[in-house]
Amino acid sequence: MMTRMAGRLRRAGIYAVLVVCAGLFLLPLFWLLTIALKGPGELQAFPPHVLPEVLRWDNFTKALTYVDFLGYARNSVIIAVLYSGLVTLSSAMVGFALARLPAPGKRAVFAVLIGSLMIPHIITLIPTYLLFSKVGLLNTYWPWVLWGLSGSSFLAFLFRQFFAGLPTELEDAAIMDGCGYFRAFWQIFLPLAKPALATSFVLSFVWIWGDWVMPVLLLDDDRSTLAVAVGSLYTSPNSGPLFHLIAAAAVMYSLPVLVLFLFLQRLFIRGIATTGMR
Amino acid sequence: MTVPTRARPRARTVATAPPARGRRWRRHRPRTFYLFASPWLLGFVLLTLFPLGYALALSFTNYDGFSPRWGFVGLRNYETAFTDPDTWSSLLRTLVFVVVVVPATIAVGLFLAALVNQRVRLRGVFRAIFFLPVVVPPVASAFVFRMLFDRDSGAATWLLAFFDQGPVEWLVDEKALVVLLLMIMWRVGSSMVISLAGLQGVPRELGEAAAIDGAGPWKTFTRVTLPVMSPVLFFQLVIGVIETFQIYLPALLLASAGQASLNASPGEGLYFYMVHVYSEAFANGNLGYASALLWLLTAVTVGYTAVMFRATRKLVYYESGPGGREEAP
Repeated sequence: MMTRMAGRLRRAGIYAVLVVCAGLFLLPLFWLLTIALKGPGELQAFPPHVLPEVLRWDNFTKALTYVDFLGYARNSVIIAVLYSGLVTLSSAMVGFALARLPAPGKRAVFAVLIGSLMIPHIITLIPTYLLFSKVGLLNTYWPWVLWGLSGSSFLAFLFRQFFAGLPTELEDAAIMDGCGYFRAFWQIFLPLAKPALATSFVLSFVWIWGDWVMPVLLLDDDRSTLAVAVGSLYTSPNSGPLFHLIAAAAVMYSLPVLVLFLFLQRLFIRGIATTGMR
Repeated sequence: MTVPTRARPRARTVATAPPARGRRWRRHRPRTFYLFASPWLLGFVLLTLFPLGYALALSFTNYDGFSPRWGFVGLRNYETAFTDPDTWSSLLRTLVFVVVVVPATIAVGLFLAALVNQRVRLRGVFRAIFFLPVVVPPVASAFVFRMLFDRDSGAATWLLAFFDQGPVEWLVDEKALVVLLLMIMWRVGSSMVISLAGLQGVPRELGEAAAIDGAGPWKTFTRVTLPVMSPVLFFQLVIGVIETFQIYLPALLLASAGQASLNASPGEGLYFYMVHVYSEAFANGNLGYASALLWLLTAVTVGYTAVMFRATRKLVYYESGPGGREEAP
């Protein structure tokens, strides 16, 4: 009897903690939404209004036109798809090689790959920017193509783990059918790797979608991405940043990746649990 | 340190033995390996090693990006780095932040992982809610936290007004660190997911055996679960320290939400080491000096990684490898 009571109490306690934490985690998103629906004057009110007096849905239409939101969205989509597609393919190739193709020096290559996980992008970014400006790639999308082609150590590691888990009989079957490694990769291994491919594409897409520093360094404002637009273009010369429009733009900018996450949770969680990429 | 952590369990299953009838393949294998790896290898050389080398060369010059008259200055940039008070104060601020943020993230991540690992209803929904902020783009999350702690209209002000407290200027001096801390902790979901995979990799028999031996849930957790999970936690510690040491963007975006620019400085309270580097590079145009600062950071990172790599052999429990990381999707 006592243990049953204790069990119930414990369970109730767990639910209480879960609900409180969930509230705290959702609060910032809720706050963003309320700002997006407030009028410009309401942000000066003291004490602050929690809920908008009138729901100003026209903030969203204003945010779409104050800057060329859809144009920036198009640039963001182009860059994100270009990069994610290329980086997924090249990382899959490297991961496949590391998992399936023995060669002298392979251990060294793998060690370098793991070591390169420790060199964050932000360190090489300044010299890389200088190099790109020297060879005339500023204000083009070529840097993302090059970054994509050269793969990502995190994703290569993800693919290595995936391919290493597939049975060795696959190679035997491919040999029986008389196909070489490239055909085996394209026709046997890659189709089997659909979950890893999707994970890789989605992770890199969300990362590039959120990236601010590379477009701000490499692109002029009019060719830039949504991240840059939301980060700095909603200002008026007289009154500074237009917070209610930024909020509305931020909601629309975040929505695609939030929806992507809600539909593909499994892929995200597995990808991060395997690679530690944040 | 992460090398053995992550690689060891898999090493067994890698197809090292070539298939029986693969004589034709076997001959081509070394070349094939390098063909497949060439995009990454080339990219690593051109987009990582070469820029690092370029930065090393620049660090011995007084290059500023514009002036055609620049030259070799020897070690002067490194001397400046050691005597520049901004370097030391930003370094100290960064260290303090790392010491607070990294353990806090790992602890809260583990706590949440243990919570959503319980057999409760809707745990999938709770997992999704805790993870959701990780997906929110940094520009948007920085804006939200800037607004939550806005002096006039922020939620913090609203809360303080309940207790008859006036508004607080959160985003100036050291108080901005608190806001930044909360903003980083909001993204604790990635740590939760890694720890959750670790928790699920702990063999159930271990816990059952401990329970039979009379250990309570808390004792089982500290004496059985935590040791088995130590590689996962250690991995987070190493990566977390390296990442947090290079914190730059969250600070910049938080301080200048709505008017973000690389030339802007986030002000005294958020002046971290990488902020120092970037403001020397882009606001002051001291590219040579900034390169020297980058190289010092790289050297410290490599040294730290090597030390941790040694330490892991003594500190961390390995037997069957870290549980959750080896699951193949």
